[in-house]
Amino acid sequence: MDARLNRGHGMTAKLTVSALTKRFDSLEALRAIELSVAPGEFISVVGPSGCGKTTFLRIVAGLEPATSGRVLIDGKPVTRPGGDRGFVFQTDNLLPWRTVLDNAMIGPEVAGRADAAARRRTLELLKLVGLEGFEGYHPRQLSGGMRQRVNLARALAIDPDILLMDEPFSALDAQTREIMQTELMRIWEQGRKTVLFVTHQIDEAVFLSDRVLVFARRPGRLQESVEVTLPRPRALAIKRTPEFVRYVDHIWRLIEDDVRASIIEEHA
Amino acid sequence: MAATDIEDAPSRAPAPGEPHSLARVLRRNHLAGLISIACGLALWEFLSRIVVANPLFLAAPSQIFGAVVALAKSGELERHIAISGVEFLIGYAIASLIGIALGLTMASSAVAKQVCQPWISGLYATPTIALAPLFILWFGIGIWSKVLVVIFLVLFPVTINTEAGLRTTSPRLIEMLRSFGATPRQIFVKVSLPSATPFILAGLKLGIGRGLIAVVVAELFGSRAGLGRLISQSADAFNMPELFAGVVVLAAAGIAMTAGFGWLESKLVPWTRD
Repeated sequence: MDARLNRGHGMTAKLTVSALTKRFDSLEALRAIELSVAPGEFISVVGPSGCGKTTFLRIVAGLEPATSGRVLIDGKPVTRPGGDRGFVFQTDNLLPWRTVLDNAMIGPEVAGRADAAARRRTLELLKLVGLEGFEGYHPRQLSGGMRQRVNLARALAIDPDILLMDEPFSALDAQTREIMQTELMRIWEQGRKTVLFVTHQIDEAVFLSDRVLVFARRPGRLQESVEVTLPRPRALAIKRTPEFVRYVDHIWRLIEDDVRASIIEEHA
Repeated sequence: MAATDIEDAPSRAPAPGEPHSLARVLRRNHLAGLISIACGLALWEFLSRIVVANPLFLAAPSQIFGAVVALAKSGELERHIAISGVEFLIGYAIASLIGIALGLTMASSAVAKQVCQPWISGLYATPTIALAPLFILWFGIGIWSKVLVVIFLVLFPVTINTEAGLRTTSPRLIEMLRSFGATPRQIFVKVSLPSATPFILAGLKLGIGRGLIAVVVAELFGSRAGLGRLISQSADAFNMPELFAGVVVLAAAGIAMTAGFGWLESKLVPWTRD
């Protein structure tokens, strides 16, 4: 489980992050992040609260400027949000006055491409995420799990190269979360998009990822990059194998002290 | 996965053998409300005819109804309603347009907000209806002095609600749109405006009651016709049935318009129900 930061390096890298630093006044949220991601790679970011993992994702999304350093997608620097990245939010952020279909169509609509073809594609995607028959429903009529499916379909509807997911299953109950993990795997296997997945669940990160980036706090930094070589496609049963448990243990030991420190701080 | 809204609707009919409780019957047919109104009117009729028994001080519901019919037949009621209606509608329309525009301006510019806020907060809290005599002095006893009073009373709740609605747009929804590369204009049209609509409607609804008060009170201060004029005329003549007839027509207008707004809300902003 060596740190292999440069796996996707070179001409083929989809996403390259170099010397990325972010400061909020005196707080150093991220320090000198280096990362290279190959096309189609599924990367998770785990770490204690306050390690800057969400900030990192927001910078890659172009929602937040970096203080210094560079984020390159296909060699081009990121300065603002763009159609090459789809963001799946922690809260579903659905527009309550729109139907499921109209919510999922917001990306093409903003880009001025809400034509019949985009509509057909979005309907296909809703089917893919398991929402066939619910296209005309409003968010208030859906369960939390279904709303997160719309959230995912909405990000996929712009056909992004990179999917950025910010703890998308954290608000769901434990069973729904496991179902959503397998669903995400199934959907990812079909498109093999590059994914950057932020989570605080170590088992979720190991289950989904090719690589798990373990962040540390104060300052937020990349502590170790853990390559997960479990065979694909993966089923939930893999979570009970010794190999899987070893990965989870290893990552937990990396962040345990940090997590304890962050808990004490939160209660201070 | 099943939709959460497809839950078994509570059955309407009581189960066999279950007693028809009085409370259940009352609730189902809105009977309680109707009975309450009927009892109130009967009590009023009784007090007015037996206890007070002085037509100079109080009119009974039956007398008021008679007065409404008589005024309607003579065409006088129509004339008063037309004048008050025109005053209300012109004032209300102008106040709504200016109010929404002003709210939009204040929400989109911090400077505009700083400039307008003290005036709007101040004038909203002031009983500007007290300025009605002044407006009559300036603009005469025709409809325009009343229109101005209506504008003054309706404008501020509409402005304040529009601005508040736009300002309280969920930052998460704005961020979501931003993640798709939306322009500020797109964010405004697709998120801010729809999410402010319930607030704007609430402001407009608040304006109905205030607008009606404005019309009547302004007419009381000086007018040639209108429901306020009818009321003050009747009071001077101790004609209680006609005084109440004016009040009843105003109440009916207020109730009808508020109910109309409730319907409009259920059509335009159904997501705010429950």
